Amino acid sequence: MAELIYSGLTKQFDGSAQPALDGIDARIESGEFVALLGPSGCGKTTLLRLTAGFEEPTGGEIRMGDTQVAGPGCFVPPEDRGVGIVFQSYALWPHMTVAGNVSYPLEVRGLARAERARRVEEALSLTGLTEFAHRAPAQLSGGQRQRVALARCLVAEPRAVLLDEPLANLDLALRASMQENFTAFHRRTGATMLYVTHDQGEALALATRVAVMERGRIRQFAAPEVLYSEPADCFVAGFVGDGAVVSASAAGPLGRNGLEVETMGLRVAARSNEALPTHLCIRPEDVSLTDEGGLRARVRGCTYQGGRFRVVLDTGGEDLVAFSRLRLEVGAQVGLRIDRPWAFREPGLSALPARATAHV
Amino acid sequence: MNLGVAKRSSRSEGRLLSWLLLPVALIALGPVVRLLLEGVGFGNGLTGDYLADVMSRDSTRKALTHSLVTAAGGTLLSVLIGGAFAFLVALTNVRARGALVFCLMVPMMIPPQITALAWMQVTGPSSVLLKMVGLAPPLGSPQPLHSPGGIILLLGIQHASIVFLTLRAGLRQIPADLVEAARMSGARGLRVWAQIVMPLTLPALGAGAAMAFVTALGNFGIPAMLGIPARYSTLPTLIYQRLVGFGPSALPEVAVLALLIGLVAIAGVLLARWLLARRSHGLVGLSGQPLSISLGRARLPVEIALWSFIAAILVLPMMALLFTSLIPAYGVPLTWANMTFDAWTEALLRQPMTRRAYVNSLGLALGAAAILMAVCLPLAWLMARRPSRATRAIDALVDLPYALPGVVLSIACILAFLDLPFTDLTLYGTIWIILLAYLARFLVVMLRPVQASVGQLDPAMEEAASAAGARLGRRLRTIVLPLAAPAAAAGAILVFLTAVNELTVSALLWSSGTETLGVVIFNLEDSGETIMASAVAMSIVLLIVCLMTGVQLMARRLPKGVVPWQS
Ligand SMILES: Nc1ncnc2c1ncn2[C@@H]1O[C@H](COP(=O)(O)OP(=O)(O)OP(=O)(O)O)[C@@H](O)[C@H]1O
Ligand SMILES: [Mg+2]
Repeated sequence: MAELIYSGLTKQFDGSAQPALDGIDARIESGEFVALLGPSGCGKTTLLRLTAGFEEPTGGEIRMGDTQVAGPGCFVPPEDRGVGIVFQSYALWPHMTVAGNVSYPLEVRGLARAERARRVEEALSLTGLTEFAHRAPAQLSGGQRQRVALARCLVAEPRAVLLDEPLANLDLALRASMQENFTAFHRRTGATMLYVTHDQGEALALATRVAVMERGRIRQFAAPEVLYSEPADCFVAGFVGDGAVVSASAAGPLGRNGLEVETMGLRVAARSNEALPTHLCIRPEDVSLTDEGGLRARVRGCTYQGGRFRVVLDTGGEDLVAFSRLRLEVGAQVGLRIDRPWAFREPGLSALPARATAHV
Repeated sequence: MNLGVAKRSSRSEGRLLSWLLLPVALIALGPVVRLLLEGVGFGNGLTGDYLADVMSRDSTRKALTHSLVTAAGGTLLSVLIGGAFAFLVALTNVRARGALVFCLMVPMMIPPQITALAWMQVTGPSSVLLKMVGLAPPLGSPQPLHSPGGIILLLGIQHASIVFLTLRAGLRQIPADLVEAARMSGARGLRVWAQIVMPLTLPALGAGAAMAFVTALGNFGIPAMLGIPARYSTLPTLIYQRLVGFGPSALPEVAVLALLIGLVAIAGVLLARWLLARRSHGLVGLSGQPLSISLGRARLPVEIALWSFIAAILVLPMMALLFTSLIPAYGVPLTWANMTFDAWTEALLRQPMTRRAYVNSLGLALGAAAILMAVCLPLAWLMARRPSRATRAIDALVDLPYALPGVVLSIACILAFLDLPFTDLTLYGTIWIILLAYLARFLVVMLRPVQASVGQLDPAMEEAASAAGARLGRRLRTIVLPLAAPAAAAGAILVFLTAVNELTVSALLWSSGTETLGVVIFNLEDSGETIMASAVAMSIVLLIVCLMTGVQLMARRLPKGVVPWQS
């Protein structure tokens, strides 16, 4: 196992105007389970393929442990990187049996037959495939194929495991059980894992840290709970989790517990580490329906989510999201209170010192 | 882990493979380029005067006219036959289409000189078939096929399948909703066909006609068998006669003639490509069910007509050929009592020349198929995974040696290999020149199926192997080869089939000891050994039908477009 270090990594495909990756700087520690999350076309697969060595970067470098594997004047081909990869299409070789697929990496490494058989057996039993060893991939179900791909990737004990939307083709129930498999597997082997997904639930559930990408850049790279409660910018705040992003301005000095901000004509105490925030991220948990909050809103929509209702509230200009135990009529007026939302500053926006600062 | 060294070895592997492009380009395109150079005055100094001299000769102009007349007549006939079959088979609900198509394809796969030989056994005063039914014309009356009309008839039958295949492909692209829309507006039957289907398929029909014309123009076997006895020369037979009569000294002259046919042929090929490009442009984005028009009560009569026609162009001549091969002496009618396999045993077991020809032809065909299989797999991989200007150029130009008439390629090969550069060696008169010509000519026959198959492979298959640590050579051997093997096998059988059939190239390149089957049939017939020629021809037909059946049986496991008569 080894850590992965990206510095200034850039990839520009021939004939496209925008770079697919635009200056990626990140460090993935040995044994970490990192999810790459982002909308379609943001460069997740590209980052994975650069890590595996299927593409050469146009700039910057990649290091695995203390060896540089890609960089100016240096490129280690995928054969020599010792990473395992699971493709979205699984890419099982149809002309080999399950056991044949799994033992291929060992054959390539020239392992003795007995050793090979032992390790294939081990990998198959780890993924629960022992009874399918002599089947052709075409005779397996989607989930079983997925497990063959995983076994094939693990058998060679790779330095890092790369997975490109490995569960995208599976149904919901199978997805949940495979997710458990992944966590269990990660706990058992301690492998460095890089997991691409555009399903945020999956990313937040599985990973120790999540990198949120947009248009070739990493917008935030943090633990799931940090990503949720302290998003770095509007994109992350809107992309991860439910809730609303509204503009705000500072109304007090930054203290240990954050600061007071003005938003929607109201003063609210917010968590922050930014003296001049521009936006608030208001999660549904931050909104309570009560008449003491000083804010009134009209119910615009109400959907049942099992155990609770998700309510969209129009405060006159901004829409907030709240949870309610009771069904609310669309059009009804309710009072609400906002409890310690997260205030942040959108990079590139200059925050005007709020008028309110004069009062302090 | 020593990553630096590993990196170098893997990259050079890819570069090493790129060197494959060089011999491929040299062998496939070298001769054609050499012929073109001859045309612009390279080598023996071909001046404008000389060009004008050859062109103004009576024999040249006559042969050119004859070539154009027979090719045009044959094309017209091909369009009628192939067009009728395509409309009926692709658009209507006739039964047993697969069998019909297979039978229509057989004439194309049978070598032209065998077609000519077989038809000569149907007509003429010595026809065993006519004698058996008492219809034979009196002895001494002329063979009616030894005439321009005979050449046109056989060219028309031989190349009908070209028109058929192009037109059927075009018809398949017409979405059913176009016809349904016409029906909704009240049009029916013939009107739909004339106003909707016909205009949409005109480009495909034109392209098919252009290709049939080019093929007919280059056909050597039929005008050689039917025209030479009637002193009716076309350009290919004129080239043959000059080269046989005067040897390599006639090269500058025949080079001019070869360039002449080559130019007409290239014009035809370009026309066909242009027409096909127009077609796909107009219908792009449309999809849906292919057409199927119910014939109603006319179905059975139509089916009877189609099968009678197949009987007339396939069963009849083959029966005549078979009967001739079984009679004891030419001119004798066949009875149960006098039926004999003497000619078969004589031809296949005793005659050294025919045995040699069998060995040569099978050896050449096998050799060409094996070499091309070994070359085309990495070549197709390079084209698909490492495209560059060089691979694209080769991709665009490999069609040339196959599309050009065989005589043109033969002359080009003689020019290129007569004096090997930097040595005193010559390949002319050896079997190697035939092999090189076959490699150049059939490269594309092998390449296209393998290309189709490699193109369908998910690149992730190879990437997975690469991540597993397998280097390029191992990936090609253990992943790409097994997955492309069915297509490669089909391609190899097609190459084998075409090479065994081949007469035109070897007719100009053979010498004593290196004769091929095509040459032997031609020579046997030329020296009056019709019965033995028929026996050899019949044995080849059997071989071809077996091979075609083999490909047909594999067809379901192959990517689309690999088997030429399926789509
Ligand atoms: N081989 C290529 N050539 C040119 N452009 C490419 C190539 N591969 C990817 N791109 C472009 O790079 C960008 C990032 O693509 P990438 O496949 O990494 O997206 P992704 O985040 O994996 O998206 P998805 O979630 O849809 O899989 C896209 O704009 C894509 O069009
Ligand atoms: Mg992707």
